[in-house]
Amino acid sequence: MTIKLTSVYVDDQSKALRFYTEVLGFAKKADFSNGPYRWLTVASPEEPEGTQLQLALNNNPAAKVYQEAMFQQGQPAAMFYTNDVKGDYEQIKARGAEFTMPPTGVPGATIAKLNDTCGNLIQLTQLARW
Amino acid sequence: MIEREQYDPGPANVARIHNDGEKRTLVLSRELRHAPEKVWQALTDPAHLREWAPFDSDGSLGMPGATVNLTTVGLPTPRVTETRVKRADAPRLLEYNWGGFDLRWELEAVDGGTRLTLWINIDPRFIAMGAAGWHICLDVLDRLLAGNPIGRIAGPKAMVFNGWKRLHAEYARQFGTESANQAPKAEH
Repeated sequence: MTIKLTSVYVDDQSKALRFYTEVLGFAKKADFSNGPYRWLTVASPEEPEGTQLQLALNNNPAAKVYQEAMFQQGQPAAMFYTNDVKGDYEQIKARGAEFTMPPTGVPGATIAKLNDTCGNLIQLTQLARW
Repeated sequence: MIEREQYDPGPANVARIHNDGEKRTLVLSRELRHAPEKVWQALTDPAHLREWAPFDSDGSLGMPGATVNLTTVGLPTPRVTETRVKRADAPRLLEYNWGGFDLRWELEAVDGGTRLTLWINIDPRFIAMGAAGWHICLDVLDRLLAGNPIGRIAGPKAMVFNGWKRLHAEYARQFGTESANQAPKAEH
């Protein structure tokens, strides 16, 4: 068994694809359409065959309520690991993203949080070297 | 299901693109050896649609102004889209919307059969995918009408099917569209 895919709900898949590729720097991996349904994933260019992130259209009323509540509470919907959170913060911010938390030291890591404009907070995490 | 195993969709010569200025419309056209009335029933009756179409309908598509729910086939969680039948002029013209795309079916009587033409204003990124999928659906429809049903090939069932992959590649080449699915490339 492997973990090959995880999902975030987004309010608009085309907008999400732009944000996750042009702003965050991921690359489109799969994009299939079946009538009104669209299977859309991105992956990291550093790890093209690594875990995929599905950008799933949130048309589920229960999921919308959950998503909004998590956002209000400052809970990230996904967490990405980096070796340079400050560098990524500067680069992603320069591309227009809004950070709700600049790089901040927490026990064992430095983290930052940003708004993905599609209904989610995303956390960037750089683990401290031991 | 021997018929289904032997089914091959043939060359990619059923679909084309109609260009109207910036607008690209996917057009599929094929002749069926059945009268328009019979084809019309297969396009509008839920029991027939279930045998070939990429969606199920909870009501007839043959009543102008009718509202029906269309359920996309083969998804992990059901995706239901409500549609209103825009035009239903039996047995010649049928128009409705499926998931944001307008579908227009034209039926023309030719030599005891029907020339069936489908116009779809599909998202341009998925035009080759749509061409391959509907090409196969129309083949399945033809066999259903001939009394040799091979079972619906739509959604994920179509995409794992080798004929679909070949058709998709051939239509993508003809239309000059890039494949929607490529390995990610490093950009930075």
